[in-house]
Amino acid sequence: MVSDNLKVGVFICKCGGNISDVIDIERVKESIDADVIEEYTNLCSINGRKIIRDKVIGDELDRVVIAACSTQSHLKTFQAYVQPLNPYLMDMANIREQCSWVHSTTDDDFNQKATDKVITLINASIGKVSKSEPVDPIVVQTPNSAAVVGGGISGMSAALSLGKQGIKTYLIEESPSIGGHMAKIGKVFSPVKIAEECGLCLLNPVLNDVVWNENIEVMTNSKVVKANRRAGSFNLLVETKPRYVDSEKCLSCGDCVDVCDKLIPNDWNDGLTNRKAIYKPFAQCYPDSYVIDIDNCDKCGDCKRECKMDAISFRRENEMIPLEVGSVILATGHKLFDPDLRPEYGYSRFKDVITQSELGRILGVNGPTKGKFQCLSNGEVPKNVVMIQCVGSRDDTPNGHKYCSKVCCMVALKNANIIKHKYPDTNIIICYTDIRTPGMFEKYYKHAQASGIRLVRGRPGEVGKKDGHLVVRVEDTVKREFKELDADMVVLSTAIEPSEGTNEIAKIFDVSQSEDNFIKEANPKIKPVTTDIQGAFVAGTAQDPKDITDSILQATASASKVSEIVSNGIEIEPFIADVDYEICDLCGECIEVCKYKSMSIEKDRIFIDPMSCSGCGNCIAKCDKNAISINGNIDEMIFSTIDGILKDKKPGEKRIIAFLDDIGYTAADNIGINRLSYPESIHIIKVISVNRVMPKHIIHALKTGADGIFIGEYPGDLLYDEIEHNMKKIRREIEMNNMNPERLAFSKVYIPYFSGLARKFIEFDSKIDEINDLAK
Amino acid sequence: MKQIPDKNILLFKSCLVSIEYPGVESSTTFVFDKIGVDYFVSREQTCCTGLGHYSDVFDQFTTTVNGARHFALSHKLNRPNFAMMCATCYAINKRVANLLNENDELRDSVNDVFDDCGFEWMKYEKDDITSRENIFHVIDIFYSKRKEIAENIKYDFSDFKIATHHGCHYCKAHYHDTIEGVRNPHIIDDVVNACGVETVGWYDFKRATCGNGFSQRFVHKDLSMDATNDKFKSLKDKNTEILIHLCPNCHIQFDRYQPYMEKHYGEKLDIINLNIAQFLAIAMGADPYNVVGIQTHTVPVEPLFDRLKLLSDEDKKMIIENVSRKVDLDNSADFNMEADTIKVDFKKGAK
Amino acid sequence: MDEKFEHGSLDLAHFIMNDIKFAQGENLLKCVQCGMCTSACPGAQHSDYNPRDMIEYILEGDNSIIESEDIWNCFYCYTCHSICPVGNSPCQANQVLKQIAIDEGIADEHLRPFLGFGDSFLNHGMGGIPQNFFKEMREDIGEDWWEFKNHLDDVRTQLGLGPVYPDDDSIEEISTILVKCGFKDRVEKIREIKDYEK
Ligand code: SF4
Ligand code: SF4
Ligand code: SF4
Ligand code: SF4
Repeated sequence: MVSDNLKVGVFICKCGGNISDVIDIERVKESIDADVIEEYTNLCSINGRKIIRDKVIGDELDRVVIAACSTQSHLKTFQAYVQPLNPYLMDMANIREQCSWVHSTTDDDFNQKATDKVITLINASIGKVSKSEPVDPIVVQTPNSAAVVGGGISGMSAALSLGKQGIKTYLIEESPSIGGHMAKIGKVFSPVKIAEECGLCLLNPVLNDVVWNENIEVMTNSKVVKANRRAGSFNLLVETKPRYVDSEKCLSCGDCVDVCDKLIPNDWNDGLTNRKAIYKPFAQCYPDSYVIDIDNCDKCGDCKRECKMDAISFRRENEMIPLEVGSVILATGHKLFDPDLRPEYGYSRFKDVITQSELGRILGVNGPTKGKFQCLSNGEVPKNVVMIQCVGSRDDTPNGHKYCSKVCCMVALKNANIIKHKYPDTNIIICYTDIRTPGMFEKYYKHAQASGIRLVRGRPGEVGKKDGHLVVRVEDTVKREFKELDADMVVLSTAIEPSEGTNEIAKIFDVSQSEDNFIKEANPKIKPVTTDIQGAFVAGTAQDPKDITDSILQATASASKVSEIVSNGIEIEPFIADVDYEICDLCGECIEVCKYKSMSIEKDRIFIDPMSCSGCGNCIAKCDKNAISINGNIDEMIFSTIDGILKDKKPGEKRIIAFLDDIGYTAADNIGINRLSYPESIHIIKVISVNRVMPKHIIHALKTGADGIFIGEYPGDLLYDEIEHNMKKIRREIEMNNMNPERLAFSKVYIPYFSGLARKFIEFDSKIDEINDLAK
Repeated sequence: MKQIPDKNILLFKSCLVSIEYPGVESSTTFVFDKIGVDYFVSREQTCCTGLGHYSDVFDQFTTTVNGARHFALSHKLNRPNFAMMCATCYAINKRVANLLNENDELRDSVNDVFDDCGFEWMKYEKDDITSRENIFHVIDIFYSKRKEIAENIKYDFSDFKIATHHGCHYCKAHYHDTIEGVRNPHIIDDVVNACGVETVGWYDFKRATCGNGFSQRFVHKDLSMDATNDKFKSLKDKNTEILIHLCPNCHIQFDRYQPYMEKHYGEKLDIINLNIAQFLAIAMGADPYNVVGIQTHTVPVEPLFDRLKLLSDEDKKMIIENVSRKVDLDNSADFNMEADTIKVDFKKGAK
Repeated sequence: MDEKFEHGSLDLAHFIMNDIKFAQGENLLKCVQCGMCTSACPGAQHSDYNPRDMIEYILEGDNSIIESEDIWNCFYCYTCHSICPVGNSPCQANQVLKQIAIDEGIADEHLRPFLGFGDSFLNHGMGGIPQNFFKEMREDIGEDWWEFKNHLDDVRTQLGLGPVYPDDDSIEEISTILVKCGFKDRVEKIREIKDYEK
């Protein structure tokens, strides 16, 4: 069926027995028709590469079929191995995940049905490559600039790394100063030195470097309010609120503060102290200038009159600043669990029940008590301190978080250590379920124990008051004893949860969030900093709970991801829409139908954003002038793949074709990876979008011998509703062709729900049996 | 917030209400009539099996069959919305509904029993009754009608120290369904609040059991009374004068056994007990003996009436205003149910 | 000891998970032994009962927990159930353990005082405190209460309420059903005095 002038090579991989234990490779080789047929134990190895390359060059192959694993595992490998052949002239027949792994052997013999299926799948691939055309991957160059959203330690570290690599960087921070949570933590733990270090002292050099780096533009009081992705760049709209104090003029003398008489709880001290409506967030803040909290200001003008520099003006408006950048790093950070959601611990009822963060402020020399450790109720040094771990973490009940917040065990140990060193007479008990101090942190844990900190293994049920002091009710599970622990101070280790900023930014950039609302990485194992939006990366606690070191690690990792894109551009699949400008009359119909919003009119031309076009082909159907085509001859390829699958179909044999896109294909792979099974009759064809499978393809397949057609689509796909709707039409068309419309099945697919897909395959297979019986 | 019905309600009789505190039922219907709730009480109803169930005498299957009969009855009467006067009835029936809807095998066996007895009409079909949409406690209905309650108040209770106790089987057994707090239950406080009265709010052991513990009160009396004593001590610390609850079993524990507790632990308690329906009925001016049924109480309720004042028109206007504002706030999406009540300060007006 | 559950296995745990009294499924297996249940448990605060420990027995496959006297100190207050951070329910697990003990015939003594609940349901279609407790209650509560009990119908009439019990047809209906469920047999079996008890 391949035209005579195309030389095809088929390479079959045994995959170290993974394939060849189930499939009779010899019979496969005998049954297919190609110019070159080779087999090898591990085609993906360096030796495999040699075999393939030698044949491609030596035999001057025009097309190559690799029958091996899934494209998910080795597409890129084999695209490289077939060089100098154009990568799109090679196709992979998935005979492992979608064949040998789902159809096992019953006895010592090979699985003959599965062997037949391999032959069919190879024929399908031969059919497909016979119609394929050489295309080049599209590389999109992105501007040499980036925006980092969030000015905490993650954002600052990322910005600094970018700036040092010569990338123009905008560091966008919502509050009046960069610095984030780290600025107020006080001491930070250091596992190696087994000591605590001054957080601000570590932060300050970073902050200064950020400020002095000429590539970094710090935008405080600013928020991204809109974001659009277009052809390798992001168009952002940043809203900057006025500070009402001109940073250029302000000398930070503080004269204004004395005359302001509005008192507002000071965030920086977790509300333990008050500040004025005109204030400086903290001593080392940047910009180093005062700012007016306009929501709490009476606009009396006293400060304005007092300022010698005339730096204050109330006539300022919000500014909208458009930015165009190549990449973004989302570092919008976290907030802490609201302790009132565990009312049994009495946070709002008892002054001396506080959070670890508040304890950090109380212990900080720059905090509300100037570092004097004391009860908030009476100013005395507490004799007994009880810490309660996992408040809001590892908790499946309403409002709780199922995950471990990862840092609170270390935070509790750190604060306990600091107290113990300065106030050895204070007894400290940490009530815990598990102490989690992995790696080097374990040494710090031992160190804390050696300083005399006590641990009670049990999760307290409540905090009450008895004879004037607090009691923590807990079971000492090691001793099997219910206890009431006396306490002058109770400290709650509250969970880390995504900040509001994190939730907002995820919506604005349309990046996916995890079930716990953190920003989701593309793959937690191997792509820990990329998001599902090309060019958008995540760093720090916006992605999951982590400590400062991990935040910096992730920040620098995301910065180098940005630099990869800046130096090499983004490579994308070339199967996207293309407009013939000679024919196009700019009616604009196509713009509307594109669910991926990739079409627009720019400079009197239809512009298709290659980054967002999925190649679904919706616009083709809409354009009555036939001005749009999609690269890669896909229509013809689908026909020839179908023909390949139905080639040599024997009487009584059953062949079902399943069309799946990337997601469905991955789900199908997962069936194999998990070694579930489904009938051999199922033959999967991977398409760019199931929308590209037209009624004509389906009718053709059914007419030429397919017993059934299965179409799977991920309900989250933008085209889902439309495709589901189209199915009715296609069924009608099938009926008009005098065939049973039930031969077409449509189903939802999800990657994690692969077992469901396997079940659907099995059900559809037996339904086809019924239909076939009926037809007899 | 979840949808709470005020029509087609089957007011589910409770055995302990009927036998021990019948005034709870007459007070409930009195208040329902005032605030516009459409209900019906049926003599075809048996009871939920709760007391026997939690004394381990009833097995879950028997309880489920008995529950299914009531679900059928409610459809026969076209009153598919249950309102319970007792926390146990509430929890038992929710569990039965969940089981019947989720466990196909069990549902079939239940229907087999009905078939065998020739009671075709009782057969249950999946989702005939759903726990969340059809099964409520009377307190839920009061809560959804706080504006109407405020409009019907005649007497002023604001001079009393009032505390609340929330039945365990109301707020903890089906905690995903509970409104206004599981860890800090305060739905009764909110309803009392709608009468212009502030409660003492949280007290130590507020969410703990009343101590009856079903079998415990009868066979482990010391254990039971020790648990009750934890509560009484803490209530006394708050100088509580009236304790309001929503379950007759708690009512027995706090009221019937109060004299015994006083003797046993040597402390005078003098805490008047009222079911929330009785409290509302009194506040709305119901007759103490012909409606509220205070003659059935062990701790005398009479002293309360000496101190009760008529509500002035101005105060009432202010209460209505503040309650409407709070109800709207509660209904807004970002209200946090688990945190302490956002108290309406009636003297200064809500912020 | 019951052979149904192999000692040291998860048999007992699986049995509980699958019992219709237990609604928390595999969360039983997720117990981290944190003790939060015990920390807030009235039974644990005032007796030797310990719900965390009880769960540990179940997960260890130590069937002796079925015979433990301590488990009879649970209040069924569902406090543990509502706060358990893994969504387990010691309260419901306890209820199943007792049903096992009952089925094994080793809990009759515990149940006999409460059989009145069953009888009254079979005869009057309604629960109600068993009469065997009245004497002690009368002492504890006082004569006023006794007086009121004897005039319940009058009080109900005064309050405008109908008769206490369901109508006769309904009582008939419910007893038929309860007999069919095997409930009557269950009650009778418990009432029997076993040889070893004599
Ligand atoms: S880090 Fe420790 S305290 Fe924090 S959630 Fe994890 S185990 Fe609990
Ligand atoms: S529909 Fe066709 S002709 Fe019209 S604007 Fe789009 S591409 Fe051009
Ligand atoms: S049952 Fe729940 S609360 Fe009790 S120990 Fe286990 S995990 Fe903790
Ligand atoms: S239900 Fe039982 S185990 Fe659970 S807290 Fe109450 S008394 Fe304790």
